[in-house]
Amino acid sequence: MSQSGTSGASRRLRILLTVATVLIVVFIIRLVDFQIVRAEAISELSYENRAVSRTIEAVRGDILDAKGNVLATSVYRYDINAAPANVKPVQRVVDGVSQLTSVESIANDLAVILQEDISVLLPKLTGTSNYVNLKKRVDADTHQRILDLEIPWIFSDAHQNRLYPNGAVAGNLIGFVDVDGLALAGIERQYNSCLAGVDGKESFEKGVDGVRIPSTAVVTQEVQHGRDVVLTIDSGLQYQAQQVLAGEVEKLNADWAAAVVIEVKTGRIVLAAEAPSVDPNDPGKSPELERGARVFQFAYEPGSTMKAITAATAIDTGFATVNTQVTAPSSLKVFDHVINDSFAHEPQRWTLSGVLRFSSNVGTIKIAENIPAETRHAYMEAFGFGAPSGVGFEGETSGVLNPYQEWDGVTNFTTMFGQALSVSPVQMTSAYQTIANEGVRLSPSLIAGCQDDMGNLEATSPPSQTQVVSAATANDVMHMLEKVVEQGGIGKATAVSGYRSAGKTGTAEIKEGSGYGDYYAASFFGMAPVDNPQYAMGVIIYKPKRVWTNSMAAAAGYQKILSNVLLANRVQPSTGVSADLSNEW
Amino acid sequence: MKPVIRRTRASSPVVMILVLGFLGISLLHLLLTIATSQSVYELSDLKKEKRELETTSQIIAEQVLSLSSNQNLYSTASRLGMVVNTNPVFLRLNDQAILGEPRPASGSSIQSTNLVANSVMIVESTQNNQETVPASLSEPTLIPSESPVSASIIPVSPTR
Repeated sequence: MSQSGTSGASRRLRILLTVATVLIVVFIIRLVDFQIVRAEAISELSYENRAVSRTIEAVRGDILDAKGNVLATSVYRYDINAAPANVKPVQRVVDGVSQLTSVESIANDLAVILQEDISVLLPKLTGTSNYVNLKKRVDADTHQRILDLEIPWIFSDAHQNRLYPNGAVAGNLIGFVDVDGLALAGIERQYNSCLAGVDGKESFEKGVDGVRIPSTAVVTQEVQHGRDVVLTIDSGLQYQAQQVLAGEVEKLNADWAAAVVIEVKTGRIVLAAEAPSVDPNDPGKSPELERGARVFQFAYEPGSTMKAITAATAIDTGFATVNTQVTAPSSLKVFDHVINDSFAHEPQRWTLSGVLRFSSNVGTIKIAENIPAETRHAYMEAFGFGAPSGVGFEGETSGVLNPYQEWDGVTNFTTMFGQALSVSPVQMTSAYQTIANEGVRLSPSLIAGCQDDMGNLEATSPPSQTQVVSAATANDVMHMLEKVVEQGGIGKATAVSGYRSAGKTGTAEIKEGSGYGDYYAASFFGMAPVDNPQYAMGVIIYKPKRVWTNSMAAAAGYQKILSNVLLANRVQPSTGVSADLSNEW
Repeated sequence: MKPVIRRTRASSPVVMILVLGFLGISLLHLLLTIATSQSVYELSDLKKEKRELETTSQIIAEQVLSLSSNQNLYSTASRLGMVVNTNPVFLRLNDQAILGEPRPASGSSIQSTNLVANSVMIVESTQNNQETVPASLSEPTLIPSESPVSASIIPVSPTR
């Protein structure tokens, strides 16, 4: 028994050892398989399950005015989604008591917050899908209120969106982006390279519960956020100008109105306003023609505001002085056409100053008729007509200034008072800036530069300078234009109390078909203060239909905007009196 | 025999120290692992809190931008009865000269209502109802300019 018992125990031990050995061998084989043969594949599979690769979205830069006020900025909007397959009542603790909230009750809460109809929302929550969108692009406040409901089957996607906190203020300049962030117009598109950043990339590992594992994050590409575009405009003055223009458009039943103000000594555009103007938050509401910038993109026949340029040319070339005497009838036959003044009068003995004061077409012809067309054309070009102003705005017009060789006999005369050529509002304002700046034209600028988040400004190129006429000529013209404001019936309406200002009316006919129509482009361009010129500006009222005289249409708007500009910039009131110039002889 | 006995006695504490050291390091590693795991969840919670604070910050920033918009300031100023002073007066320090003529400001200089559109000028809710812009807007807006009238058909000229 003892021997057989020992033998049995020994046999069991051997069997056990054999089984253990087999198991160990199997484990070793599997271990070798896992750790050596398939190690790389398993590791890769494991990493794929843990690893997450994520794009770090670059934030688009802001658009700021000259004082740093935000005109465009980036914010997040959220798409609110649900997983209908997981929709079920939610257990909530209310006043310390756990209770089940029904799907209908939750849907009702969602409908109130999302401002959606419950009859539309509730059907979306039924089904077997894992995704349904409940509402797109809700703001952060709404998103937070949804999160506070703590509904496990509701999730959201964040999207970068553009916010224009001042609405249509400078909307004509700023442009807009679409819902996907693609810049579609204006500065948004033109300066996209400054505003748009470069997305970054990072990867990290997460646990089974979705929590990020520390020290596994690797940034494979650094994100570069967009920089800010800084404009030269003052958004406060831009707003006030748009207010004034909108009021004038309404009052005069005009198609539209525009205003430009340029700093005389720097060429910086202080405001470039229009009414109506697009609200970039909702560009779809504006007709297509109101989404652009007429100030830069629209050209019109300027009419009598061009007489100041003709006068400057005549003085600078020695063909006239402020006291040059002409006898001007109210009409004049040139070739087979008759040129009329705007009012019937007996032949008048006017000086050049008087010709401008009374805005005589015939007098202007008599002053400038001996100046070669080539010379006048060259001066017009030097004043900036017939070419983009230099501001560099997208789609900017050059206007039309045909080669002087193409001018026929009548055109040679009509161009003296602003017909048979076209200009943009900024071109004409720039020409008046030249006169106010002792004959030196500075190319107008709208962009101060591109600024990083440390405040370092990459400034745009300084304005180009051109001495168009002599300082003496420019001052002579400005002093004659001061008489228009001081003595003219319309000019007086543009005067700002306490300041000496100068300017010229324009009542330009508008082409309709092959000739001129019944409506006008009323304008006033000028500068102030005459004793120390700071600002050149112009206002255009296009096709006013409710006026007793078209010439008067632009005066009230001009006065209000100029007043705002002078007061807001604390320009010192004028001293001294206007030059002693005689209008008649 | 004595040297062998000495060696056995001498190696026991060393083994003990090694074992204890190993156990201590293992325990420390275990504690550190637990602490790290705990921190991971704390970190996750803090990141969630940061996101919530960023959202709150965005909500407040949008409200501030809306409140400080020109339209809002204008409406507020109007409600308060503020008007633009169109008659500034300056005192020139070098000769004490008074520049300008002081006169009471007139309320007529201000437009009574805001005329400049702003679809996001709301404080309680800053929802942006931006609509999809037609693809046709991807090109610059071309505003048709006037073309000058040919000289041959220029009529009498009332321009002034």
